Amino acid sequence: MKKLEKSDCRFPSTLKEALELLANESTRGRLLAGGSDLMVQWAAGMEPPPRVISIKGLKELQGIKEDDGAVVIGAGVTHAHIRSSKPVQKHLPALAAAAATVGGPQIQALGTIGGNVANASPAGDLAPALLITGGEAVVASRTGERTIPLTKFFLAYRRIDLKPDEMIVRFVLPKRAAGEIEVFRKLGTRAAQAISKVMCAARFSVKAGSFETCAVALGSVGPTTVRLPKLEEWIIGKSASEETLAEVEKRASDEVSPIDDIRSTAEYRKWVSGRLVRFLLES
Amino acid sequence: MGPKRKIKSGHVGADSTRVDAPDKVRGRAVYTDDIDVPGCWYGKVVRSPVAHGRLRSLKRDEEFDWSRVSVVLPDDIPGKNIADLFIHDMPFIAHDEINYLGEPLALVAAPDRELAEEAARHFHPDIEELPGIFHMEEIVDLYKKQDSSLHSLGEQTTVKGDIEKGFSEADMIVTGEYWAGYQEQLYIEPQAMIAEMTDDGGVFIRGSLQCPYFINPELCLTLNLPPEKIRVKQEMTGGAFGGKEEYPTLIAGYCALLAMKSRHPVKIVFDRNEDILFTTKRHPSWGRLKTGLKKDGTITAIHAELLLNGGAYTTISRVVLARGILHAAMGYRCDNVFVDGRIFKTHTFPCGAFRGFGAPQATWAFESHIEELAKACGMLPQEFRRKNCLVQGDVTPTGMVLKDSVGSPAVLDQVLDRSDFAKKLKQSSRGNPKHKKWYGIGLAFFAHGSGFTGDGEARFKAKGAVELDWIEPNHPGVNIRISSTEMGQGAFTIMDQIAADAISIPLDDVRCPLPDTSLCPNSGPTVASRTTMVVGHTVHGAGLKLKAALEEFASKEVFEGRPVVLENGRFVCSGEALPFRQIAASYLDKHGRLRTEHQFTLPPDLKWDQSTFKGDAYPAFSWGCNAAEVEVDPLTFEIRLKKVTACFDVGRMINPLNCKAQAEGGLVQTIGYALMEKMGIRNGKYDADRMQTYIVPTMPDIPEFDITFVEYPYEFSPPGAKGIGEMPMDGLAPAIANAIENATGLRCNRIPIMPEDLFTLHRAKHQNG
Repeated sequence: MKKLEKSDCRFPSTLKEALELLANESTRGRLLAGGSDLMVQWAAGMEPPPRVISIKGLKELQGIKEDDGAVVIGAGVTHAHIRSSKPVQKHLPALAAAAATVGGPQIQALGTIGGNVANASPAGDLAPALLITGGEAVVASRTGERTIPLTKFFLAYRRIDLKPDEMIVRFVLPKRAAGEIEVFRKLGTRAAQAISKVMCAARFSVKAGSFETCAVALGSVGPTTVRLPKLEEWIIGKSASEETLAEVEKRASDEVSPIDDIRSTAEYRKWVSGRLVRFLLES
Repeated sequence: MGPKRKIKSGHVGADSTRVDAPDKVRGRAVYTDDIDVPGCWYGKVVRSPVAHGRLRSLKRDEEFDWSRVSVVLPDDIPGKNIADLFIHDMPFIAHDEINYLGEPLALVAAPDRELAEEAARHFHPDIEELPGIFHMEEIVDLYKKQDSSLHSLGEQTTVKGDIEKGFSEADMIVTGEYWAGYQEQLYIEPQAMIAEMTDDGGVFIRGSLQCPYFINPELCLTLNLPPEKIRVKQEMTGGAFGGKEEYPTLIAGYCALLAMKSRHPVKIVFDRNEDILFTTKRHPSWGRLKTGLKKDGTITAIHAELLLNGGAYTTISRVVLARGILHAAMGYRCDNVFVDGRIFKTHTFPCGAFRGFGAPQATWAFESHIEELAKACGMLPQEFRRKNCLVQGDVTPTGMVLKDSVGSPAVLDQVLDRSDFAKKLKQSSRGNPKHKKWYGIGLAFFAHGSGFTGDGEARFKAKGAVELDWIEPNHPGVNIRISSTEMGQGAFTIMDQIAADAISIPLDDVRCPLPDTSLCPNSGPTVASRTTMVVGHTVHGAGLKLKAALEEFASKEVFEGRPVVLENGRFVCSGEALPFRQIAASYLDKHGRLRTEHQFTLPPDLKWDQSTFKGDAYPAFSWGCNAAEVEVDPLTFEIRLKKVTACFDVGRMINPLNCKAQAEGGLVQTIGYALMEKMGIRNGKYDADRMQTYIVPTMPDIPEFDITFVEYPYEFSPPGAKGIGEMPMDGLAPAIANAIENATGLRCNRIPIMPEDLFTLHRAKHQNG
């Protein structure tokens, strides 16, 4: 690509090699996986960085594995792979649904879960579905690995807990328990190829008519994707009644502080956040 | 006069696949950016970073090596520093007052794109910034206060009867205000142009464009060249929608000025971002309607105001306004009409042509208002329209008597019938809290003038030609020579059909090359839904003349003076027959190329007064009706368009398949206009400036279509077509708004309609009630 002519582009063939490049300040560069975010930014006029390290196709970042309690997804796994993966569809259905709403088929074939998280956009399509699992991101550097709960991984607008010599290598995502429901809904201006106005994912269970577990996450309503801890705490033990759901709508709406931007208004986002959470917990 | 009168049929009236499709589908079509001109340089426009100000100086970095590039400043312009677009209020390159962000301050060309872009970054304008006006809301606010600081770029009224008398006869008066936003054409291929100097000191301009004979003569003044020294050729054009109507004169001028200065061919191709930011949009509009009604639904008076945001300079806005006001109260019977249209200046890029050209804004306001009128007198929307719609023999707001070719009420009846409107209207939710999804159906009925406004066509005298020539080695055939362009709308296919029919030869023996002013007569611009009706007629006439000439030749040279008829590709003479190609070849061998020409004329009784805007506003009107069915999610107020039933009268259909394609394409473009394509101004610039933020529909947004036609041919101009290109943009937005009201009980008076708007309306209604 012409835009990258002036950049020093490296193509490591192993993860170890890539981490070596990252470890050294003189060879460290911007990581490029599918390029579905970065290439667009560069084409739009942002100056590409002096050094780029391509991690596209690194074997160590591929694969979706299952163990007893969790689904482990490599950072380099594409959205297309995630949406069609049987274990993800079965144990993490909100994530499968979210991956299916990313851009269009072309972007889904290139874009990766690691890239989507590392880009750390508050409108990142996968983040809400990842956050409700209570899972972890595993990051690696030359000196070893570090595990961070996803709820603590997103620090601020477009910033994640990742040191300059580290890269995300995989996600460990606990499966939903028996009886737990997972749901996802994205609102955009059009039916496909949309960046969200608001996104919502929920994992919850209802036992004997009362909420037993509940995790709710919302995207595009703040500088980062957020969980709603106050609501989640409040709802446990409450009956799954019309009254509770009306209160859920109000509390969810109160717990977010979205902004106006080109895609929507703060007022609408605040209102519809409550509506969506209520809708998902109704299902 | 009934529909579907049978006319002699051959290629005309039959589905024909697009002649330009194979190359486009296979990726073989060569577009401007694909053309490799030896020694070609690349041009770049140096743009103002502020929207309104006074240019004190334009400094350049001394350390940059300026010898590697060519720079054009106002003083380098050989002619006048004026963009000759209708009104002379816009400089080609700003030199004093700056009126919009992005206004050219200088032009620069370099051997490659990167260097040209780098050079552009080494200019440093020193500008005294001045306050600006940017938004339609500001215009309307000042207009209502009758504030004299508003800068008018043009105004026009048309009056019928006595408006005061009309209001005094009314039992009730209904008013409404209706807003419409910007719309970007978003053609697939961005603006692209190449200019090079010719040996005689002229310029050869080619590129992606709609109207070769706009660029010539419009650049004569700027380049100080006579028309014969400016040759313009259209290259394959990837969509235009009006966006390549008047704008290409500017980019062609930039290329030509740089080519004259640098002595190199110069190419400019915009990327998407530059194309969206610095080319024309559909005019944002505000319409205010005040209508007098009798209890029985009779309309006694219509007072319509239509305001357009013209942007920084006049350019083509007055022509857009003209079409706007002629559609602002069109379609319904009323003896007392007052229409007042105005264009106001803002410090934004000049708005310009876009499919529909003022009519979509006008129809959006009027058809939304008609819905309110029906409600006010307690009638169903279809009953009110059926009672008041213009039919044959009625008189339009400009005093035009609809003598013939009137597809009303046929289009309305057809849509009411096919959509099962009455039944579905009853099923509409009207915000019923018991409904899981809110369903609604809505209607719009409209007319669209075909051809230039008023006596434009009578004065213009469009010419078209056909030429017998070798179209390939050993293949004698016919070239169509017109200045109409193919930009994806199917014009060349239709011209082939018309010419082949007129001459009575196979389609394979006819072709329509891309127009070139050195080879084609002036058939006018490819605009105003005029190409099939007006230029098609010239091709038809020229074809008949060519046919007669060849028959005469065959009779004299081959059949010993006996009468000969050219029929279905054969010269027939009392039982004998010879193939077209054989006779054509012998003609070419003996006489060389044969060219015949035909000119479009209008009935002598057509009357138009340009000063009062009264008379026959168009040679003919096309008619249309749309029913939209929507589903609104009460949970989120998301809107889904489920089905559109549309019927159009476009006169005689030359190519029904292509008519349907035009209708579908236009309706899809209107889904964006009505529901998605939101664009505002932020810091003097369009806020949605790339495809990531400017949201157009994609395939999953497209509803079920039921598109049909009724044919009321325009008899004066064989083969009888009227216009279709623009009309599909006119009615769907109000039909959708009307459907949304029937679904939700909420009336939206502003497009695009977003869930956020429904939320705001819902909350306001809830709080008040």
